[in-house]
Amino acid sequence: MNTSIIKIAQASNALSQFSPVFASQFHTSSALCRVVSGKYRITKKRDRPLTYEMANPPHYIAHRKSWNSWNTSSLKDGLRKSETAVEDEFIRRFINGTWHGLVCSEVIIKRQFNHIRIAAIMRRAVSPTKMYFLLGYTEELLSTWIQCPVTLELQTVDSYEDVVFKYI
Amino acid sequence: MYSNIIIPRQWSRLACVCRSVASIEGQKLPQTSISSDGISPPPRIPRGSTDILQALAATVGNDPTAAHYKYHDDPFLIPLSNFRKRAYALSAEAGRKAAAWIRDEHANLFTTREWDPPMKMKTPYFNADPQIPAYAPKPFYNDESIVTEIDLKYTIDNALLEDAIKVFELLGGESGLSSELKLSFLQLLCFYNEKEPVAMEWVEERWFAAATRERHATTWKLGGLADKIFTSMEPKTPEAYCAIIQGMAKYFQAERAYALTQEAKEKGIPLSTSVYNSLLGCIGFLKEGVSLRIEALKGLLVEMDEQGLSPNTETLTACLKSLSAWGGGKTLQGVALQTVAEFRQLGIEPSLSAYYYLLCLFCKDQGPKIDILTNIIADLEKRESLEPTEAMDTNFFITAMGVCSNHLQDINLAERLHALLMKNDNYKLVGDAYKESIYYRHFVTVACRFAPFERTTQLLDMLIPNIYVPEPSVMEEILKALELQGAGARLAAAWRELLVFGHAGRARLVERLLRALSCCGREQDDEVKEQMQTVAADILKYGELAEEREEREDRRSPTQKLSARALSDVLELCADARCDAGWAAAAAALRRLRADAAEPAPAARAALAALAPRAARHAHHALAAATVSYLAECGFEEAIPASIETLSVILNRTTEEVGKLLEENKPSLTTSLQPAALEIAQAYHTAKTGTPLRDSGSSTSSDSDSESSDDD
Repeated sequence: MNTSIIKIAQASNALSQFSPVFASQFHTSSALCRVVSGKYRITKKRDRPLTYEMANPPHYIAHRKSWNSWNTSSLKDGLRKSETAVEDEFIRRFINGTWHGLVCSEVIIKRQFNHIRIAAIMRRAVSPTKMYFLLGYTEELLSTWIQCPVTLELQTVDSYEDVVFKYI
Repeated sequence: MYSNIIIPRQWSRLACVCRSVASIEGQKLPQTSISSDGISPPPRIPRGSTDILQALAATVGNDPTAAHYKYHDDPFLIPLSNFRKRAYALSAEAGRKAAAWIRDEHANLFTTREWDPPMKMKTPYFNADPQIPAYAPKPFYNDESIVTEIDLKYTIDNALLEDAIKVFELLGGESGLSSELKLSFLQLLCFYNEKEPVAMEWVEERWFAAATRERHATTWKLGGLADKIFTSMEPKTPEAYCAIIQGMAKYFQAERAYALTQEAKEKGIPLSTSVYNSLLGCIGFLKEGVSLRIEALKGLLVEMDEQGLSPNTETLTACLKSLSAWGGGKTLQGVALQTVAEFRQLGIEPSLSAYYYLLCLFCKDQGPKIDILTNIIADLEKRESLEPTEAMDTNFFITAMGVCSNHLQDINLAERLHALLMKNDNYKLVGDAYKESIYYRHFVTVACRFAPFERTTQLLDMLIPNIYVPEPSVMEEILKALELQGAGARLAAAWRELLVFGHAGRARLVERLLRALSCCGREQDDEVKEQMQTVAADILKYGELAEEREEREDRRSPTQKLSARALSDVLELCADARCDAGWAAAAAALRRLRADAAEPAPAARAALAALAPRAARHAHHALAAATVSYLAECGFEEAIPASIETLSVILNRTTEEVGKLLEENKPSLTTSLQPAALEIAQAYHTAKTGTPLRDSGSSTSSDSDSESSDDD
């Protein structure tokens, strides 16, 4: 049955050239969202470190853990859906690159009015002075790109070990 | 921003129009208070764009015990010393500057404007409305730039002085400009004296700018661009004259300013009040001698009157500025009071700057005590709000606090002044970081000296360390106050403060602390005493570590060593040590005293004599032996009873028995006694006879013992 679906899908590719209605209707990959996505596999030596956020699979969101992006774009008539998603991804990559090797947690992005608050846990591997430099740099550069006030809300830990919740 | 959620997306353009038309601000409300149905809505109050934010902010007080909000709220990132406060704030600003540099240098990467609410895109890179200039790259001017008069207007409006000069040159100098633009350019040059100011957006840099004392010297650039533009202007308008005269007077080119004023008067060009104000401020540069200067000042005021110009608050400030710059004395003070009285009659109240100059004139450090501050504060307390109007307004509070602390030495007045500063949002008048710290320096000093102790501690707890970090001199005052009140626990905590604030290397302060500790040590509870002894041990350990580091790194400036006096203080403090730290401190202090070959203070001798048997009782035999032999080496007679008593403790005999033992069979002692006891016996003999007990088989006598015997 699967193959026949694929065939139909391929046919719809051809169709899609004529009519955009057929372009994005079919899903040909198997539905794995409940089984593997957002979950970590156990290693043989049981030495993969997980943070609390990683240790809880997606269905625990809003029960044991919370969202990584906070905004209203997914509400009914919410604005800037795709823009928000792309910007959030951009912010995450920017933070991970700028604070290279220092980010110990997920980057949480909260939007309130025209204000973006970015929270993360950093390692104390560089001096506070350098941290302040990076803080000012990140806030200013992100706010010029996204064109709204951006605030970083960081916490620091001594080492990555401090955020490890368990090993699997 | 997202207030129009109900309106579907495709209508958003309409929404945008609607928003501007139907927003609350745009609504027409009835203006009359009487209506037909008896309901009378109050008249509309016009509000500014940030009024609501300010009203909200007014509901939240400041928490003085938390770090300033510019610092990150994390234990690792909260600064606790003056150096760190400055370094962290400036680092963040440096980061912001780096980002701004990238934005300006690579302007082509920052052309996208986010669109909100989303609408159909008209052109690829132009879709946000309105544009927010703060997020856009700043224009960049070099020799190849193509510029128009709009650029010049932009640079002048934003006070970008160097850019303005560049654009001006690119536009072809004096000839190719409209007269209006030329005038505003001239005004810009005159205001800043052709020196680029620090931009408004770099708040921290302005806050931490090194305290530059206002130089009363001619700094006006003669024959500079401003002069050239002024000569090229034809016809010369009154505004041009006003600009150039004020510029010259501001930078103390008094003679040229005065000459231009005469020229303007001859030509019949009207001058403004502010021109005369600036001339009044630099009149002293034209004349020598107080009486001539006062005459010239009065002459200018009369001239103003002839021209039909009415004076304002700045006129008063300028007069007082000149008067205070000419020294002190009864004449000037009399003239100043007369001026203030006359301006009061005109209904002009002195501003904060005027009061600042009055304080400068009346309250000299060496001069007689004159209390004009009480009246000034009473007057300011009556005012509804203190608005900063002139640049020198920020000097008032630090000068007034300085007068409270050094001149009047009055804590009540200082408290009133501080309450005034804390009222409403008067705190903005504190000036910058430098002025703020001087203000608190004066305040804490006067509080430590004259305030009741409860108030002092309350103040210290509130201010330190987040608002103010005491400098060494203030720290000394604080230690003195704590010592006077015998606040032992606080004194013990003071060492931690010294460490955190970066004063631990200052031997003077540390010695002061040890002095205070040993003075108050006797009356404290056991717990506090234990804390104090721990502190003493810490101090000695810190000193040793510092010395080690110095040897390792070969520093230029050697760390200061603690004096023998300070070490004896430690011994005195630890004479009744209970905890290990106390014993360690005593041992370390003794070691260092012996290494320096210094004599302890007289008070410490008794302490040492008491320490030895106590140490023996607590099984610190080596320490007991070292104490006794040190006493003997220094030749104090306390060594004899101390050694007998200590030995009696160690050998568990009565003192008579020990005394007999020591007197009798000397040779057998060396073989029968344990090393520590033997050392004490040796010390006994050193003290008694001046020669140590020496046997050929004695291998236990320590090096210092033999050294001291050589000395004897």
